[in-house]
Amino acid sequence: MSTSSIGAQSALAIQQLVAMRNQFNDLQRQLSSGQKSATYAGLGLDRGVTVSLNAQLSALSGYNSTISTVSTRIDLMNTALSRMTDIGSTVRQAMVSANSTSDASGAVTAQTTAQSSLDELLGLLNTDSSGRYLFSGRATDTPAVESMDHILNGDGARAGLKQLISERTQADLGSNGLGRLTVAQPTSTSVSVTEDAGVFGLKLASANSTLTGATVTGPSGSPASLNVDFSGGTPNDGDAVTLRFNLPDGSTENLTLTATTKSPPGANQFTIGATPAATAANFQSALSSSIGTLAGTSLTAASAVAASNDFFAADVNNPPQRVDGPPFDTATGMTAGTAANTVVWYTGESGSDSARGTAVAQIDQSISVSYGARADEDGLRNLVQNIATLAAVTVSPSDPNATGLSLALNQRLSTNLGGTGAQSLTNIAAQLAGAQTSLDAAKTRHQQTGATLQDYLQQISGVSNEDVGAQILALQTRMQASMQTTAMLFQTSLVNYLK
Amino acid sequence: MGLSQALASAISGLKANQAGLALVAANVANADTPGYVRKTVNQVATGGNNAGIGVRVTAIQRELDQYVQRQLRVENAGASYADTLSQSYDRLQQIYGTPGSDNAIETIYNNFTNALQALSASPDDPAAQSGVVSTGQLLAQQLNQMSDSIQGLRSDAELGISDSVTKANEAMSQIATLNQRIAASPSNDSALATLLDQRDSYIDQLSQLMDINVVQTGNNQVSVFTNSGVQLVGTSAATLSFDAQGTMTPSAQWTSDPATRSVGTITLTSPTGGTVDLIQTNAIRSGTIAAYLQMRDQVLPQAQSQLDAIAAGMASALSDKTTQGSAVTSGAQSGFDVDIGALSAGNTITVNYTNSLTGAAGTYTFVRVDDPSALPLSNDATADPNDKVVGLDFSGGMSSVIAQINSALASTGMTASNPSGTTLRILDDGAGNICDVNSVSATTTATSLMGGSAELPLFTDGNQAYTGAITALGSQSVGLAGRLTFNSALAADPSKLVTYASGTAAGDSTRPDFIYQQLTGASLTFSPSTGIGNASTPFSGSITTFLRQVISQQGEAADSASNLKQGQDVVLSSLQQRFNDGASVNVDQEMSNLLTLQNSYAANARVLSAVKDMFDTLMQIQT
Repeated sequence: MSTSSIGAQSALAIQQLVAMRNQFNDLQRQLSSGQKSATYAGLGLDRGVTVSLNAQLSALSGYNSTISTVSTRIDLMNTALSRMTDIGSTVRQAMVSANSTSDASGAVTAQTTAQSSLDELLGLLNTDSSGRYLFSGRATDTPAVESMDHILNGDGARAGLKQLISERTQADLGSNGLGRLTVAQPTSTSVSVTEDAGVFGLKLASANSTLTGATVTGPSGSPASLNVDFSGGTPNDGDAVTLRFNLPDGSTENLTLTATTKSPPGANQFTIGATPAATAANFQSALSSSIGTLAGTSLTAASAVAASNDFFAADVNNPPQRVDGPPFDTATGMTAGTAANTVVWYTGESGSDSARGTAVAQIDQSISVSYGARADEDGLRNLVQNIATLAAVTVSPSDPNATGLSLALNQRLSTNLGGTGAQSLTNIAAQLAGAQTSLDAAKTRHQQTGATLQDYLQQISGVSNEDVGAQILALQTRMQASMQTTAMLFQTSLVNYLK
Repeated sequence: MGLSQALASAISGLKANQAGLALVAANVANADTPGYVRKTVNQVATGGNNAGIGVRVTAIQRELDQYVQRQLRVENAGASYADTLSQSYDRLQQIYGTPGSDNAIETIYNNFTNALQALSASPDDPAAQSGVVSTGQLLAQQLNQMSDSIQGLRSDAELGISDSVTKANEAMSQIATLNQRIAASPSNDSALATLLDQRDSYIDQLSQLMDINVVQTGNNQVSVFTNSGVQLVGTSAATLSFDAQGTMTPSAQWTSDPATRSVGTITLTSPTGGTVDLIQTNAIRSGTIAAYLQMRDQVLPQAQSQLDAIAAGMASALSDKTTQGSAVTSGAQSGFDVDIGALSAGNTITVNYTNSLTGAAGTYTFVRVDDPSALPLSNDATADPNDKVVGLDFSGGMSSVIAQINSALASTGMTASNPSGTTLRILDDGAGNICDVNSVSATTTATSLMGGSAELPLFTDGNQAYTGAITALGSQSVGLAGRLTFNSALAADPSKLVTYASGTAAGDSTRPDFIYQQLTGASLTFSPSTGIGNASTPFSGSITTFLRQVISQQGEAADSASNLKQGQDVVLSSLQQRFNDGASVNVDQEMSNLLTLQNSYAANARVLSAVKDMFDTLMQIQT
């Protein structure tokens, strides 16, 4: 280090003064910006790390905003699901109280409840989170389901559930109201029951008889037919024959006719006649009447459930199956509806893959949560379908079968509402709760990671105010000393002392 | 001996004192003149025939240490080299922005990936879609602007060279002129000293521009050479010329061939008329000119190629779709079928095979080339160091392509055929069992936004797709950073960020997920021409990690340039200090000289006065 001589220009001293001034300016910039350097060059060896850290921090903030967006959606879905569960309970309760009333007024109340519940339910399924429909699968820009009015009553040329039920009821009951069965007397002492060739109506499953002297043959043949022949003798009081029918919704009903000596006979009884022919005639009329009642109650209910099954099994790509008609009362098969002639209740995206997988959010480098839902997945469809069926079947108080029909319908629907399929609302809610837990865990983790990364970044590119402040003070002292001595150096010239 | 002798001596003393005083005055007046060297008088005693003694000024001496002066010139070149380099690096650093600030490329890139994350969470949200569009456009614009700035810096370097050459010519011709005037100078007087001062100052100027070697020849003459031995100034000066180019583009490069060279070069014309290209002969190794040359031809092109690599990486990571060939057998031969109908220029077919005898695996990469003059391709055309690259001319149809592939594969035992349409079939040697084909794949560039798959041309080269085409002018990637555009069709219809085929549901996050994954996670291989990685182990990583390397490398280079400058500054100023200690005017010293001279003058005058008194006395005696 060379020293500057008095009076001579001191390049080094001046350069050092300039350097100190620059350092001072830089420290001042550090203090005001909080950044160690305005360029990457000044950050030191860890400059590359800052790029990675910033990228990681940016990814974390992206994940965090994804988490809060998705969290909101899941919250909304959970709220909707828990309300749906409540609606299910309310409707079941209404059905139970309808069953306990002796007249049809209970049924009417249950129906009113079902209609308002359905309206709310459909509203819940169309829940959106800032424009995104949550129950439409991937088609998040379209509402998940049609309105209640369209679903029940149809929309112009497109038929609704009520019409499908009505067509199916006509097809199942047949023109004579006997469930497409023919009750005849092939001989004067025998009675035969023959089912229709098509898929509709009551189907004979089996028969069981304790009738003394009567021979029951069948059901056999195609279409199946059953024959009760009284020619062998006269039944005793209390002897009975039980016919078992398969109903369109897959349920079965037993019809038992008991022999009685009373005349006229009670419900499901037939009077033992003096001759086999008289007994057969009595049996035929009792059978017709009982089948008529069965058709008006259980069969009508089962028919509505079957129509409803078809209606709700549909999606955009598979419109509902409908009765091949008109005429409907003589129809023998189903035909596929079209989107033009039948309302498709579910308007969202449909697919065979998991509904949850229709919305997947990346919440960490390698963690994603699935939280999608489709209104037509089993748990949700089951709820909508059963409530809609209850709302769609008209129980008229003037109908003598009204109570029976209501009972038969409520039995079926409340069983289904209880959850028959593999999936219930609870399953969906549990899966969403799982996703929510993952979100929360990821959020906490991100907060911790973010704090650590931020800390590290601060160490590399940031400055501590205390540190800079101390440096500025030290530098100031040095600069003052240096300037003062330089000033003294320049003042101490012989020129000043020559007089 | 006599009074008159004393009188003569006193008068000569007065004369010498006056000369000394004039020099003190000149020294003090020029105390702050750059390049002024302190002068002292050389005076000798003059003897008469007897013992009569006077004083005479024989020469004006320049007080300088020639060893330090030579050192100083060497360091002068080094210091201006370091200074110019450091300043240019500083400006280059500005391009990358303040770390973590909104104008930093990393922040803009992160904003884009952030917008993609938001889109991934809400594919149906128009705000999220336009967020991706606007941040993507910003990213493309930022790269454009960075590329422009780099080329702007190259233009500045070109201008800097041009200015430096003008200055050098001025200095060289002045040195030559002064050489002649010095030769003609009759005596060693203050006029000569001033000429020497002037010449030294021009040599100093020249030494800042380039590294020179100054050789003293007789009669105060100097010759100036470059350190590589080319003579710049002798009795007359050579001239430098520089053909500066007006506009600078990324593809403009210096080559030794004037036909392909698109930037300026420095030509030296000797007084005898001979010319030599100083860049080609690498004659200038230090000084301002060398620093500008280094920026123009090495540092800045490398920075540009790094940006180009990022741009090309972003474009092709999103648009390139690799289709694996389907396995096929024909008799004893087995191999793969792949459709090559959709290949664009620059797209590739990759064949992996194993030689069963040696167990060595090999890769052939066939590249579609539409400019036949670019053929054959070198193995550097792909970043993969282990593949053999073969360019294919598609103009002759499938049969010609098959023939070209067959001739390339001939030594391996594999055969190519065209079973139908545009299908390429590569089969092994079957019964020979020397060669096994492991896989055949074709990589094509998606050019449609609705191609039915997640790949899309999100970034384009202007309005064209980026396919990496290779032409005689070079790869399409050169200067891509300056032309990169966010696909305008996508900007017009942001919903295509989600919709990849007709019927794609609004909430389908397949495409946003793909884009995010490719830009942040997918590993790409970068060409060693970026200065990152080397030919045998090229750098592989995501775009983010590459960006990290770029920032790291550029920051490191700028930092070391700045350190070099600081070091050189210290060396230079301590040398300058040492030189000044000898050569510069010390006012105190001059003042003390002045006192001495005053005293001496007074003493001489006193002698004069005494002689007069004595003469008077003598006269009185006589009368």
